[in-house]
Amino acid sequence: MRNIELLRLQLNHLVTQARNDLYILATMNDSPYKNQILQRLWETISSIEFLIEYLASLASLSSTQPTMPIPTDLVNEQIQPVTPSPDQPLPDYEYRIFTTQELATYDGKNGRPAFVAVNNLVYDVTNDSAWAAATHFGLEAGKDYTNEFASCHQGQLAILAALPVVGRLA
Amino acid sequence: MVLPPDSLTNASVAARLTNAVNEKLTNNLIQKQNLVYLELNGCSGNIISLLNGENPDFAYALNSMVNFRYSNSLMVAEGTEAIEQMMNVLDEDFILAVEGAVALKNNGLYNVIGSYQGKPLTGLQAVSMLGEKATHILAVGACATHGGVSAAKPNPSESVGIQQVHPQRKVIKLPGCPVNPRWFLGTLAHLLLYGEPQTDHLDRPLMFYSTLIHDRCPRRPFFDQGIFAEKLGDPTCLFKLGCRGPVTRTDCPTKQWNGHVNWPIGNDTPCIGCSQFGFPDAMAPFISYDTTRVVKDE
Repeated sequence: MRNIELLRLQLNHLVTQARNDLYILATMNDSPYKNQILQRLWETISSIEFLIEYLASLASLSSTQPTMPIPTDLVNEQIQPVTPSPDQPLPDYEYRIFTTQELATYDGKNGRPAFVAVNNLVYDVTNDSAWAAATHFGLEAGKDYTNEFASCHQGQLAILAALPVVGRLA
Repeated sequence: MVLPPDSLTNASVAARLTNAVNEKLTNNLIQKQNLVYLELNGCSGNIISLLNGENPDFAYALNSMVNFRYSNSLMVAEGTEAIEQMMNVLDEDFILAVEGAVALKNNGLYNVIGSYQGKPLTGLQAVSMLGEKATHILAVGACATHGGVSAAKPNPSESVGIQQVHPQRKVIKLPGCPVNPRWFLGTLAHLLLYGEPQTDHLDRPLMFYSTLIHDRCPRRPFFDQGIFAEKLGDPTCLFKLGCRGPVTRTDCPTKQWNGHVNWPIGNDTPCIGCSQFGFPDAMAPFISYDTTRVVKDE
Protein backbone atom coordinates (compact mmCIF):
# COMPACT_ATOMS: atom_id res chain seq x y z
CA MET A 1 0.00 0.00 0.00
CA ARG A 2 2.84 2.36 0.85
CA ASN A 3 4.19 2.05 -2.69
CA ILE A 4 0.81 2.84 -4.19
CA GLU A 5 0.65 5.93 -2.00
CA LEU A 6 4.02 7.06 -3.30
CA LEU A 7 2.95 6.41 -6.88
CA ARG A 8 -0.17 8.45 -6.32
CA LEU A 9 1.88 11.34 -5.00
CA GLN A 10 4.19 11.06 -8.00
CA LEU A 11 1.20 11.09 -10.34
CA ASN A 12 -0.23 14.14 -8.64
CA HIS A 13 3.08 15.86 -8.96
CA LEU A 14 3.20 15.08 -12.67
CA VAL A 15 -0.37 16.26 -13.20
CA THR A 16 0.50 19.51 -11.46
CA GLN A 17 3.58 19.87 -13.64
CA ALA A 18 1.52 19.27 -16.77
CA ARG A 19 -1.13 21.76 -15.70
CA ASN A 20 1.53 24.31 -14.97
CA ASP A 21 3.13 23.80 -18.38
CA LEU A 22 -0.24 24.07 -20.08
CA TYR A 23 -0.84 27.30 -18.21
CA ILE A 24 2.52 28.66 -19.30
CA LEU A 25 1.91 27.64 -22.90
CA ALA A 26 -1.52 29.22 -22.86
CA THR A 27 -0.24 32.53 -21.56
CA MET A 28 3.09 32.88 -23.39
CA ASN A 29 3.57 34.22 -26.85
CA ASP A 30 5.92 32.58 -29.31
CA SER A 31 9.23 32.22 -27.61
CA PRO A 32 12.32 30.04 -27.91
CA TYR A 33 11.27 28.26 -24.69
CA LYS A 34 8.13 26.90 -26.27
CA ASN A 35 9.80 23.79 -27.64
CA GLN A 36 11.45 23.04 -24.31
CA ILE A 37 8.14 23.26 -22.51
CA LEU A 38 6.43 21.10 -25.11
CA GLN A 39 9.22 18.56 -24.70
CA ARG A 40 8.77 18.59 -20.92
CA LEU A 41 5.02 18.23 -21.31
CA TRP A 42 5.53 15.25 -23.62
CA GLU A 43 7.83 13.61 -21.08
CA THR A 44 5.41 14.33 -18.24
CA ILE A 45 2.56 12.68 -20.07
CA SER A 46 4.78 9.71 -20.92
CA SER A 47 5.63 9.32 -17.24
CA ILE A 48 1.97 9.58 -16.26
CA GLU A 49 1.09 6.89 -18.76
CA PHE A 50 3.86 4.62 -17.53
CA LEU A 51 2.68 5.02 -13.93
CA ILE A 52 -0.92 4.35 -14.92
CA GLU A 53 0.15 1.13 -16.66
CA TYR A 54 2.16 0.11 -13.63
CA LEU A 55 -0.73 0.82 -11.27
CA ALA A 56 -3.03 -1.14 -13.54
CA SER A 57 -0.76 -4.15 -13.42
CA LEU A 58 -0.73 -3.90 -9.62
CA ALA A 59 -4.49 -3.62 -9.59
CA SER A 60 -4.96 -6.71 -11.72
CA LEU A 61 -2.82 -8.64 -9.22
CA SER A 62 -4.76 -7.49 -6.19
CA SER A 63 -8.51 -7.34 -5.91
CA THR A 64 -9.08 -3.64 -5.38
CA GLN A 65 -12.38 -2.30 -6.55
CA PRO A 66 -12.29 0.13 -9.44
CA THR A 67 -13.84 3.52 -8.77
CA MET A 68 -13.24 5.53 -11.91
CA PRO A 69 -12.05 4.57 -15.38
CA ILE A 70 -9.24 6.57 -16.92
CA PRO A 71 -9.62 7.69 -20.52
CA THR A 72 -6.34 6.25 -21.74
CA ASP A 73 -7.49 6.30 -25.36
CA LEU A 74 -7.51 10.10 -25.23
CA VAL A 75 -3.91 10.14 -24.10
CA ASN A 76 -2.95 7.61 -26.75
CA GLU A 77 -4.47 9.64 -29.54
CA GLN A 78 -1.91 12.37 -28.99
CA ILE A 79 1.26 10.44 -28.34
CA GLN A 80 2.23 6.81 -28.45
CA PRO A 81 5.43 6.49 -26.45
CA VAL A 82 4.34 3.28 -24.69
CA THR A 83 1.80 1.16 -26.51
CA PRO A 84 -0.14 -1.00 -24.09
CA SER A 85 -0.18 -4.59 -25.18
CA PRO A 86 -3.68 -5.60 -26.34
CA ASP A 87 -4.02 -8.52 -23.96
CA GLN A 88 -3.84 -6.24 -20.92
CA PRO A 89 -7.12 -5.17 -19.34
CA LEU A 90 -8.01 -1.50 -19.37
CA PRO A 91 -6.22 0.17 -16.46
CA ASP A 92 -8.30 1.31 -13.53
CA TYR A 93 -7.55 4.63 -11.95
CA GLU A 94 -7.40 4.61 -8.19
CA TYR A 95 -8.56 8.06 -7.17
CA ARG A 96 -9.03 9.15 -3.61
CA ILE A 97 -12.53 10.28 -2.74
CA PHE A 98 -13.05 12.33 0.40
CA THR A 99 -16.29 12.78 2.28
CA THR A 100 -16.67 16.07 4.14
CA GLN A 101 -16.08 14.19 7.41
CA GLU A 102 -12.90 12.57 6.08
CA LEU A 103 -11.65 15.93 4.83
CA ALA A 104 -12.21 17.41 8.28
CA THR A 105 -9.67 15.01 9.79
CA TYR A 106 -6.92 16.52 7.60
CA ASP A 107 -6.72 19.67 9.71
CA GLY A 108 -2.93 19.88 9.88
CA LYS A 109 -2.88 19.29 13.62
CA ASN A 110 -0.93 16.70 15.58
CA GLY A 111 1.33 15.98 12.65
CA ARG A 112 -1.58 15.27 10.27
CA PRO A 113 -1.49 16.72 6.75
CA ALA A 114 -3.55 19.81 5.95
CA PHE A 115 -6.03 19.49 3.06
CA VAL A 116 -8.59 21.95 1.71
CA ALA A 117 -11.19 21.56 -1.03
CA VAL A 118 -11.94 24.06 -3.81
CA ASN A 119 -14.41 23.28 -6.59
CA ASN A 120 -14.61 19.63 -5.49
CA LEU A 121 -10.87 19.02 -5.78
CA VAL A 122 -8.91 18.36 -2.61
CA TYR A 123 -5.52 20.09 -2.36
CA ASP A 124 -2.61 19.49 -0.01
CA VAL A 125 -1.61 22.75 1.72
CA THR A 126 0.53 21.14 4.43
CA ASN A 127 3.68 22.85 3.21
CA ASP A 128 2.14 25.78 1.37
CA SER A 129 3.75 28.95 2.70
CA ALA A 130 0.47 30.86 2.94
CA TRP A 131 -0.98 28.15 5.21
CA ALA A 132 1.33 28.49 8.22
CA ALA A 133 0.13 26.31 11.11
CA ALA A 134 -2.62 25.04 8.76
CA THR A 135 -4.46 28.36 8.94
CA HIS A 136 -4.92 31.06 6.32
CA PHE A 137 -6.56 34.42 7.14
CA GLY A 138 -8.71 32.89 9.85
CA LEU A 139 -9.57 29.76 7.80
CA GLU A 140 -8.62 26.35 9.17
CA ALA A 141 -7.57 23.40 7.03
CA GLY A 142 -9.89 20.41 6.56
CA LYS A 143 -12.82 22.22 4.94
CA ASP A 144 -14.34 23.16 1.61
CA TYR A 145 -13.39 26.73 0.73
CA THR A 146 -14.90 27.06 -2.75
CA ASN A 147 -16.79 30.24 -1.88
CA GLU A 148 -13.92 31.77 0.08
CA PHE A 149 -11.51 31.14 -2.79
CA ALA A 150 -13.92 32.72 -5.26
CA SER A 151 -14.38 35.82 -3.12
CA CYS A 152 -10.67 36.48 -2.53
CA HIS A 153 -8.81 34.89 -5.45
CA GLN A 154 -11.29 34.98 -8.32
CA GLY A 155 -9.63 34.03 -11.58
CA GLN A 156 -6.29 33.28 -9.91
CA LEU A 157 -6.25 29.65 -10.98
CA ALA A 158 -2.46 29.62 -10.96
CA ILE A 159 -2.68 29.45 -7.16
CA LEU A 160 -4.56 26.16 -7.39
CA ALA A 161 -2.42 24.83 -10.21
CA ALA A 162 0.65 25.08 -7.99
CA LEU A 163 -0.90 22.94 -5.23
CA PRO A 164 -0.68 19.13 -5.19
CA VAL A 165 -4.07 17.49 -5.76
CA VAL A 166 -4.78 14.59 -3.42
CA GLY A 167 -8.26 13.63 -4.53
CA ARG A 168 -11.74 14.93 -4.90
CA LEU A 169 -14.71 15.62 -2.71
CA ALA A 170 -17.53 13.08 -2.70
CA MET B 1 15.53 55.46 -8.79
CA VAL B 2 19.28 55.31 -9.16
CA LEU B 3 20.84 52.77 -11.48
CA PRO B 4 24.40 52.02 -12.55
CA PRO B 5 26.65 53.55 -13.84
CA ASP B 6 25.82 56.04 -11.04
CA SER B 7 27.78 55.11 -7.98
CA LEU B 8 25.77 53.08 -5.47
CA THR B 9 28.01 53.28 -2.42
CA ASN B 10 26.45 54.47 0.82
CA ALA B 11 28.54 57.62 0.75
CA SER B 12 27.46 58.56 -2.77
CA VAL B 13 23.79 57.83 -2.06
CA ALA B 14 23.94 59.98 1.07
CA ALA B 15 25.73 62.74 -0.82
CA ARG B 16 23.16 62.63 -3.62
CA LEU B 17 20.27 62.90 -1.15
CA THR B 18 21.90 65.66 0.87
CA ASN B 19 22.74 67.68 -2.23
CA ALA B 20 19.23 67.28 -3.60
CA VAL B 21 17.66 68.42 -0.34
CA ASN B 22 20.11 71.32 0.11
CA GLU B 23 19.46 72.49 -3.41
CA LYS B 24 15.72 72.46 -2.88
CA LEU B 25 16.06 74.15 0.51
CA THR B 26 18.20 76.99 -0.85
CA ASN B 27 15.77 77.51 -3.71
CA ASN B 28 12.89 77.53 -1.23
CA LEU B 29 11.26 74.57 -2.94
CA ILE B 30 10.75 72.69 0.30
CA GLN B 31 8.63 74.27 2.93
CA LYS B 32 7.62 73.10 6.32
CA GLN B 33 4.01 72.01 6.26
CA ASN B 34 1.47 71.80 9.01
CA LEU B 35 0.88 68.38 10.50
CA VAL B 36 -2.12 67.39 12.56
CA TYR B 37 -1.61 64.09 14.33
CA LEU B 38 -4.96 62.87 15.52
CA GLU B 39 -5.22 59.99 17.98
CA LEU B 40 -8.55 58.20 18.00
CA ASN B 41 -9.66 54.79 19.21
CA GLY B 42 -6.32 53.08 19.79
CA CYS B 43 -3.49 52.53 22.22
CA SER B 44 -1.09 55.38 21.28
CA GLY B 45 1.38 52.70 20.25
CA ASN B 46 2.16 54.37 16.94
CA ILE B 47 3.15 57.69 18.44
CA ILE B 48 5.37 55.92 20.96
CA SER B 49 6.91 54.00 18.06
CA LEU B 50 7.37 57.34 16.26
CA LEU B 51 9.43 58.72 19.15
CA ASN B 52 11.82 55.84 18.50
CA GLY B 53 12.57 57.01 14.95
CA GLU B 54 16.07 57.50 13.58
CA ASN B 55 17.43 59.28 10.52
CA PRO B 56 15.35 61.39 10.66
CA ASP B 57 14.40 61.22 14.31
CA PHE B 58 11.36 62.81 15.88
CA ALA B 59 13.21 65.96 16.95
CA TYR B 60 14.36 66.56 13.37
CA ALA B 61 10.82 66.01 12.07
CA LEU B 62 9.52 68.48 14.63
CA ASN B 63 12.17 71.14 13.98
CA SER B 64 12.81 70.87 10.26
CA MET B 65 10.08 68.96 8.48
CA VAL B 66 6.68 69.98 9.84
CA ASN B 67 4.89 72.41 12.09
CA PHE B 68 3.36 70.01 14.57
CA ARG B 69 0.04 71.73 15.13
CA TYR B 70 -1.93 69.19 17.09
CA SER B 71 -1.27 65.93 18.88
CA ASN B 72 -3.47 64.52 21.64
CA SER B 73 -0.50 63.04 23.49
CA LEU B 74 2.42 65.34 22.86
CA MET B 75 1.16 68.92 22.78
CA VAL B 76 1.60 71.23 25.76
CA ALA B 77 -1.86 72.78 25.54
CA GLU B 78 -4.73 70.87 27.07
CA GLY B 79 -8.52 70.94 27.27
CA THR B 80 -10.38 73.63 25.36
CA GLU B 81 -7.14 75.38 24.48
CA ALA B 82 -5.87 72.29 22.67
CA ILE B 83 -9.10 71.86 20.73
CA GLU B 84 -8.98 75.57 19.77
CA GLN B 85 -5.55 74.99 18.25
CA MET B 86 -6.96 72.12 16.21
CA MET B 87 -9.83 74.29 14.96
CA ASN B 88 -7.40 77.06 13.97
CA VAL B 89 -5.60 74.71 11.57
CA LEU B 90 -8.78 74.19 9.58
CA ASP B 91 -8.24 77.48 7.75
CA GLU B 92 -4.75 76.52 6.60
CA ASP B 93 -3.17 73.75 4.54
CA PHE B 94 -2.20 70.74 6.58
CA ILE B 95 -1.33 67.07 6.36
CA LEU B 96 -3.54 64.89 8.50
CA ALA B 97 -2.09 61.80 10.15
CA VAL B 98 -4.57 59.64 12.03
CA GLU B 99 -3.74 56.93 14.50
CA GLY B 100 -6.46 54.71 15.90
CA ALA B 101 -9.79 53.61 14.51
CA VAL B 102 -12.97 55.64 14.22
CA ALA B 103 -15.66 54.43 16.65
CA LEU B 104 -19.03 54.71 14.93
CA LYS B 105 -21.37 53.43 17.64
CA ASN B 106 -23.78 55.99 19.12
CA ASN B 107 -22.59 58.68 16.69
CA GLY B 108 -19.02 58.19 17.79
CA LEU B 109 -19.62 58.68 21.50
CA TYR B 110 -17.44 55.66 22.29
CA ASN B 111 -14.39 57.82 21.53
CA VAL B 112 -14.48 61.39 22.83
CA ILE B 113 -11.22 63.31 22.36
CA GLY B 114 -12.16 66.62 23.98
CA SER B 115 -14.94 69.15 24.24
CA TYR B 116 -15.73 72.06 21.97
CA GLN B 117 -18.23 74.83 22.75
CA GLY B 118 -19.44 72.91 25.76
CA LYS B 119 -20.20 69.72 23.86
CA PRO B 120 -18.18 66.51 23.67
CA LEU B 121 -16.08 66.33 20.50
CA THR B 122 -16.02 62.78 19.19
CA GLY B 123 -13.24 61.21 17.16
CA LEU B 124 -15.75 60.73 14.36
CA GLN B 125 -16.53 64.47 14.25
CA ALA B 126 -12.86 65.41 14.37
CA VAL B 127 -11.77 63.07 11.59
CA SER B 128 -14.74 64.03 9.40
CA MET B 129 -13.96 67.72 9.77
CA LEU B 130 -10.18 67.52 9.41
CA GLY B 131 -10.27 64.84 6.69
CA GLU B 132 -12.35 67.07 4.39
CA LYS B 133 -9.84 69.91 4.54
CA ALA B 134 -6.50 68.08 4.71
CA THR B 135 -4.16 68.13 1.71
CA HIS B 136 -3.14 64.51 2.40
CA ILE B 137 -4.47 61.89 4.78
CA LEU B 138 -2.15 59.32 6.31
CA ALA B 139 -3.69 56.37 8.14
CA VAL B 140 -1.02 55.41 10.65
CA GLY B 141 -1.12 51.92 12.10
CA ALA B 142 -3.46 48.95 11.96
CA CYS B 143 -6.49 50.61 13.60
CA ALA B 144 -6.50 53.66 11.32
CA THR B 145 -5.92 51.64 8.13
CA HIS B 146 -8.51 48.89 8.58
CA GLY B 147 -9.85 48.94 12.14
CA GLY B 148 -7.12 46.70 13.53
CA VAL B 149 -7.23 45.70 17.16
CA SER B 150 -9.99 48.23 17.88
CA ALA B 151 -12.21 46.49 15.32
CA ALA B 152 -11.35 42.96 16.45
CA LYS B 153 -14.31 40.74 17.26
CA PRO B 154 -16.75 41.48 18.77
CA ASN B 155 -15.92 45.14 18.06
CA PRO B 156 -18.18 46.70 20.73
CA SER B 157 -17.41 50.28 19.63
CA GLU B 158 -18.13 49.50 15.94
CA SER B 159 -14.68 50.76 14.99
CA VAL B 160 -13.64 51.19 11.35
CA GLY B 161 -10.65 52.53 9.42
CA ILE B 162 -10.40 56.13 8.19
CA GLN B 163 -11.26 55.19 4.62
CA GLN B 164 -14.81 54.30 5.60
CA VAL B 165 -15.38 57.81 6.91
CA HIS B 166 -13.85 59.34 3.77
CA PRO B 167 -14.68 56.87 0.99
CA GLN B 168 -13.99 59.42 -1.76
CA ARG B 169 -10.56 60.53 -0.57
CA LYS B 170 -7.18 58.99 -1.16
CA VAL B 171 -5.96 57.72 2.21
CA ILE B 172 -2.31 56.63 2.24
CA LYS B 173 -2.32 53.55 4.41
CA LEU B 174 0.53 52.59 6.67
CA PRO B 175 -0.52 49.33 8.33
CA GLY B 176 1.49 47.93 11.21
CA CYS B 177 0.96 47.37 14.89
CA PRO B 178 2.67 49.62 15.59
CA VAL B 179 3.90 51.36 12.45
CA ASN B 180 7.65 51.34 12.13
CA PRO B 181 8.78 54.99 12.59
CA ARG B 182 10.66 54.66 9.31
CA TRP B 183 7.44 53.95 7.41
CA PHE B 184 5.70 57.03 8.82
CA LEU B 185 8.62 59.47 8.71
CA GLY B 186 9.70 58.16 5.30
CA THR B 187 6.23 58.67 3.86
CA LEU B 188 6.01 62.11 5.44
CA ALA B 189 9.41 63.04 3.99
CA HIS B 190 8.32 61.80 0.56
CA LEU B 191 5.19 63.95 0.75
CA LEU B 192 7.28 67.04 1.53
CA LEU B 193 10.00 66.38 -1.05
CA TYR B 194 8.25 64.72 -3.98
CA GLY B 195 4.53 64.54 -3.24
CA GLU B 196 2.55 61.37 -2.87
CA PRO B 197 4.63 58.19 -2.95
CA GLN B 198 3.77 55.32 -5.31
CA THR B 199 1.28 53.01 -3.67
CA ASP B 200 -0.10 49.53 -4.34
CA HIS B 201 -3.77 48.59 -4.87
CA LEU B 202 -4.31 48.82 -1.11
CA ASP B 203 -2.80 52.34 -0.96
CA ARG B 204 0.36 51.23 0.83
CA PRO B 205 3.61 53.01 -0.17
CA LEU B 206 5.58 50.58 -2.32
CA MET B 207 8.89 51.74 -0.90
CA PHE B 208 8.06 50.06 2.42
CA TYR B 209 5.35 47.50 1.70
CA SER B 210 6.23 45.96 -1.66
CA THR B 211 8.04 42.77 -0.70
CA LEU B 212 6.83 39.68 1.11
CA ILE B 213 8.69 39.07 4.36
CA HIS B 214 9.00 35.42 3.30
CA ASP B 215 10.92 36.42 0.15
CA ARG B 216 13.60 38.31 2.09
CA CYS B 217 13.62 36.17 5.20
CA PRO B 218 17.12 35.09 6.25
CA ARG B 219 15.54 31.76 7.29
CA ARG B 220 14.05 31.08 3.87
CA PRO B 221 16.55 28.26 3.11
CA PHE B 222 15.16 26.36 6.12
CA PHE B 223 11.67 26.65 4.65
CA ASP B 224 12.86 25.44 1.27
CA GLN B 225 14.58 22.46 2.89
CA GLY B 226 11.60 21.70 5.14
CA ILE B 227 13.49 22.29 8.38
CA PHE B 228 10.96 23.71 10.81
CA ALA B 229 11.14 25.05 14.35
CA GLU B 230 9.08 23.10 16.88
CA LYS B 231 9.17 25.70 19.62
CA LEU B 232 9.97 29.35 20.19
CA GLY B 233 13.72 29.83 20.28
CA ASP B 234 14.53 27.28 17.58
CA PRO B 235 16.80 29.02 15.04
CA THR B 236 15.05 27.57 11.95
CA CYS B 237 11.93 28.33 9.87
CA LEU B 238 8.97 29.25 12.08
CA PHE B 239 6.35 28.27 9.46
CA LYS B 240 4.88 25.36 11.41
CA LEU B 241 4.44 27.55 14.47
CA GLY B 242 2.24 29.86 12.41
CA CYS B 243 4.62 32.46 10.93
CA ARG B 244 2.69 35.02 8.85
CA GLY B 245 5.76 36.22 6.96
CA PRO B 246 4.54 34.48 3.78
CA VAL B 247 1.40 36.66 3.65
CA THR B 248 2.76 39.95 5.01
CA ARG B 249 4.52 42.66 3.04
CA THR B 250 7.00 44.90 4.86
CA ASP B 251 10.73 45.64 4.84
CA CYS B 252 11.23 44.14 8.34
CA PRO B 253 13.76 41.44 7.28
CA THR B 254 16.19 43.95 5.80
CA LYS B 255 15.63 47.18 7.74
CA GLN B 256 14.42 45.72 11.04
CA TRP B 257 13.31 47.65 14.13
CA ASN B 258 14.69 49.85 16.90
CA GLY B 259 17.40 51.35 14.73
CA HIS B 260 18.22 48.14 12.83
CA VAL B 261 18.75 46.18 16.06
CA ASN B 262 16.49 43.20 15.51
CA TRP B 263 13.08 41.99 14.37
CA PRO B 264 10.68 39.25 15.51
CA ILE B 265 12.05 36.38 13.43
CA GLY B 266 15.60 37.41 14.29
CA ASN B 267 14.54 36.85 17.89
CA ASP B 268 13.18 33.35 17.14
CA THR B 269 9.50 34.27 17.35
CA PRO B 270 7.13 34.05 14.37
CA CYS B 271 5.86 37.06 12.43
CA ILE B 272 2.25 37.64 13.58
CA GLY B 273 1.31 39.57 10.45
CA CYS B 274 0.76 42.86 12.28
CA SER B 275 1.01 44.77 8.99
CA GLN B 276 -1.57 42.67 7.18
CA PHE B 277 -5.11 43.92 6.63
CA GLY B 278 -7.50 42.16 8.96
CA PHE B 279 -4.96 41.89 11.79
CA PRO B 280 -5.42 40.61 14.46
CA ASP B 281 -8.42 38.36 13.72
CA ALA B 282 -7.26 37.29 10.26
CA MET B 283 -3.76 36.50 11.51
CA ALA B 284 -4.83 34.38 14.50
CA PRO B 285 -3.66 32.09 15.96
CA PHE B 286 -0.34 33.82 16.54
CA ILE B 287 1.32 30.61 17.67
CA SER B 288 0.49 26.91 17.26
CA TYR B 289 2.43 24.04 18.82
CA ASP B 290 0.25 21.16 17.63
CA THR B 291 1.19 21.12 13.96
CA THR B 292 4.58 19.45 13.91
CA ARG B 293 4.24 16.85 16.62
CA VAL B 294 1.65 14.61 18.16
CA VAL B 295 0.15 16.06 21.31
CA LYS B 296 -1.04 13.20 23.51
CA ASP B 297 -4.07 14.77 25.17
CA GLU B 298 -5.61 16.43 22.19
